Amino acid sequence: MSNTVNPKNNADSTYNVLNSIVGYQEAVADKAQWEKDGSDLIELKGSVDVTVATLHPKRLTLEVSKVIEETPSTKTIRFISTGAPLPPFQAGQYINLFVDIDGVSTARPYAISSACDEKNYYDLTIKRVTDGFVSNHLLDNVSQGQQFLSTGPMGTFYYNPLFHGEDLVFLAGGSGVAPAITMLKDILSRGSKYSFHMIYCNSYIDDLIFINELRSLAEQYPQFRLTEVVSRPPANFEGFKGHLSADLIRNTLGSIENKLFYVCGPTPFNDYCIGQLKSIGVPNKRIRLEANGAPKNPQQLSDWPTTIDAEEVMVTVTGRGSFKAKIGEPLLNSLERNGYSVENACRSGECSLCRVKVISGNVFNPPEAHLRKSDKTFGWVHSCVAYPTEDIEILF
Amino acid sequence: MNNYDAIVIGAGNGGLTAATTLQRGGCRTLLLEKHNIPGGCATSFVRGNYEFEVALHQLSGLGTEKKPFIMRKIFTDLGVMEKVEFVQEGELYRIVVPGEFDITLPASWKGLKTVLKAEFLAEQDNIDVFLNLCEQISMESFMALPRARKIGSDEVLKSSCPTFIKYGLVSAKDVLDEFFNDKKIKTVLAAYWCYLGLPPSQIAFSDLAVMIYAYAAFKPWHIKGGSQAMSSALLESFLEAGGDVRFNCAADKILTTTNTDHTSEVKAVRTEHGEVLSCKAVISNASSVLTYNELLDTGQPPVSVQQDFKSREIGTSAFVLYLGLDCTPQTLGITSASNFICSTMDEELMHEQMNKLEPPVATMLTCYNFDDPSFAPEGKSQVSLLCLQYGELWNDVPPDKYAETKYALADKLIEQAEQVFPNIRDNIEEVEVATPLTMMRYLNTPGGSIYGFKQNAQDSNLFRDRIDAVEGLYLAGCWNGMGGFQPTYMAGESAARAVIKQLKQKETANV
Repeated sequence: MSNTVNPKNNADSTYNVLNSIVGYQEAVADKAQWEKDGSDLIELKGSVDVTVATLHPKRLTLEVSKVIEETPSTKTIRFISTGAPLPPFQAGQYINLFVDIDGVSTARPYAISSACDEKNYYDLTIKRVTDGFVSNHLLDNVSQGQQFLSTGPMGTFYYNPLFHGEDLVFLAGGSGVAPAITMLKDILSRGSKYSFHMIYCNSYIDDLIFINELRSLAEQYPQFRLTEVVSRPPANFEGFKGHLSADLIRNTLGSIENKLFYVCGPTPFNDYCIGQLKSIGVPNKRIRLEANGAPKNPQQLSDWPTTIDAEEVMVTVTGRGSFKAKIGEPLLNSLERNGYSVENACRSGECSLCRVKVISGNVFNPPEAHLRKSDKTFGWVHSCVAYPTEDIEILF
Repeated sequence: MNNYDAIVIGAGNGGLTAATTLQRGGCRTLLLEKHNIPGGCATSFVRGNYEFEVALHQLSGLGTEKKPFIMRKIFTDLGVMEKVEFVQEGELYRIVVPGEFDITLPASWKGLKTVLKAEFLAEQDNIDVFLNLCEQISMESFMALPRARKIGSDEVLKSSCPTFIKYGLVSAKDVLDEFFNDKKIKTVLAAYWCYLGLPPSQIAFSDLAVMIYAYAAFKPWHIKGGSQAMSSALLESFLEAGGDVRFNCAADKILTTTNTDHTSEVKAVRTEHGEVLSCKAVISNASSVLTYNELLDTGQPPVSVQQDFKSREIGTSAFVLYLGLDCTPQTLGITSASNFICSTMDEELMHEQMNKLEPPVATMLTCYNFDDPSFAPEGKSQVSLLCLQYGELWNDVPPDKYAETKYALADKLIEQAEQVFPNIRDNIEEVEVATPLTMMRYLNTPGGSIYGFKQNAQDSNLFRDRIDAVEGLYLAGCWNGMGGFQPTYMAGESAARAVIKQLKQKETANV
């Protein structure tokens, strides 16, 4: 006989050993009692999935209930759920809408433009953009009754009562008015101590989305101020003519103290606004910026490697296959075009759902890529804003 | 390849150390992870210019280079020691009960004694005796107790574990009451109960004693790049050893066969995408509740598992604010990375409050860039502010009241922290709030539990054998042992060793 006793086969002897520990036998007796009285936890079966799906369903099944013509270039598409009730969202959040276009499965995030307390539908307000693959497809092809999948509401661009305060300014450019109007309605519902000032910038007067509703809310609620800025207005336009500027912001707002600035519009508009706000002394912590897609021309960014002359690279997906991708195109897009499905949502470098691990080869990560420190060490990238600069192998 | 020696379900701490140990030990291993990233709760996320550590507060068990402890060996064996950098914390913690006391304990066994004696003059002799007791119990727990159990000898136990026999399973509260008169020092010394989730009256003294001794002697640590760096390093090591991993690929079912003697045996895992991958062993890093109730294909958990579950209760979750602050730790008045802020000295009350959707009476604030400025952008601070809370409470919050409820509670946490660190709110640049439901979403645990089952004395392996109702099915993680980083890293490693041993035995039997 070995002097080593396998505790499993000799449970009694082990227990005898421990019996001399003060409190051991009492604890064993308590445990025996619980085994008589306790639940076998079978009631928990499925509970985690059900609870999580109520707030954060992975997919929503949607149907177009209405298409509303807002302006010559913009439509609002109204979606109802064909499945579970739509989850609540925070004003300013988006859903990522999945689409199939000419055999390519892709997706785009759109801010919800309906009010948070509207439980029956989500509105997405979509403006035509030059070369817009998905937006233009939706504007041209979507009609009542069509079915879609989307993510649940996501994103970090929303009113946060913990530190945003009561004095809010929203610089909206073009369709950036979509999250703005939702946020406005949310703030108005919070009561009169809040003030909301929207500076709404457009090129043409024909582009003013929601303008009648905004003007009427401005008349109705003293805590809401609307400043319209149009760069190429007709002669009779009563708002500000020209471009938004630091002077215009300062003159319109007076003091910037304690104000919280939201910025949402096309990327050039966003960059410009941030510059103007900083020039009048608004600190970083009082500016909330909504990300807006991957850089269109990464080759023009200062950190882009200068040594690349190839136009294409080979992308290999470990264990699955490979394809050629254009230099300057986000990895996520080329993956999708080649039939690889990668989970994604913001498509702007922030949400991190589209992470893949680069096993070999170099990838350019623009500042939009909100990578973790260890991602850089271990080769993880956000594929929506990752640009291969040579042949690569990736794992996901 | 669709045929493995072992499949590991979940790339949390336990899953990662299990998979890496298996693959480096010569088993062809597949690691399945439903998320797109390794780590489970050992991860971080980015908001603006800040990267937030999600879960690691103080890594234990590492020891210093001069005085190494077990985790240093385990990380070396796993091939990750060269891949990560550790940052030593100078203090165990600062604990403040406004109006009562404000004490900082150094991360040094000698220093701890000195500080306590200077603060509590009347308790000087008791402090000596008590700390010696903590050290003795720790030594016995590390070496002598496992040895006595292995040998199965009552004699050996009595001669080698006298302190454990007398105090190991007595409640922490009873031992503190026996040695001290001053309520203040009891609260100061009991603070680490938060890392177990139950008040001193409900935890075994040995668990508290080992934490006090081990953190002071072997130091608390942070990991550069956060716990995500360790998770990614473990994955790297696993891949270097030739392991296969699939992300965005949850296990849907553990498939078994029934043997002639009516026992079941693991044969494969089916993924959420419907693929069936055969294997000889499965290590599940999912909760035992999910593993047996939902993953296992037998329909109903084995009787021995049901029996085990009956004597368990779902442990605590947490409510956490991740704060990016536009000021330095010094400006905030932070003098220690880890801080406990309590508005009472009554731990029972603190625990009762964990069962209510009300402002907590005990919060913990961790400032990650206090000991190493690289943990935050220059001139700024990365802070987590948390209170423990049972997840069940949130089941009753209607979805459309969720955000409101979350912010109202977060507001109270900030208020409480501001009693000690004013101006937190004015400096917020980024904030993310995680509730027990957030934990549930990302950890896939019942009640959003962060430490597994309630960690009372009976939760420990002194009272539980490994559940072996299904041959080839093993658990890693906190659901069959202690919660926290060191215990889960170790649980994965030891589950893997058991699998390697079993597979070798099988191989030998088949020759």
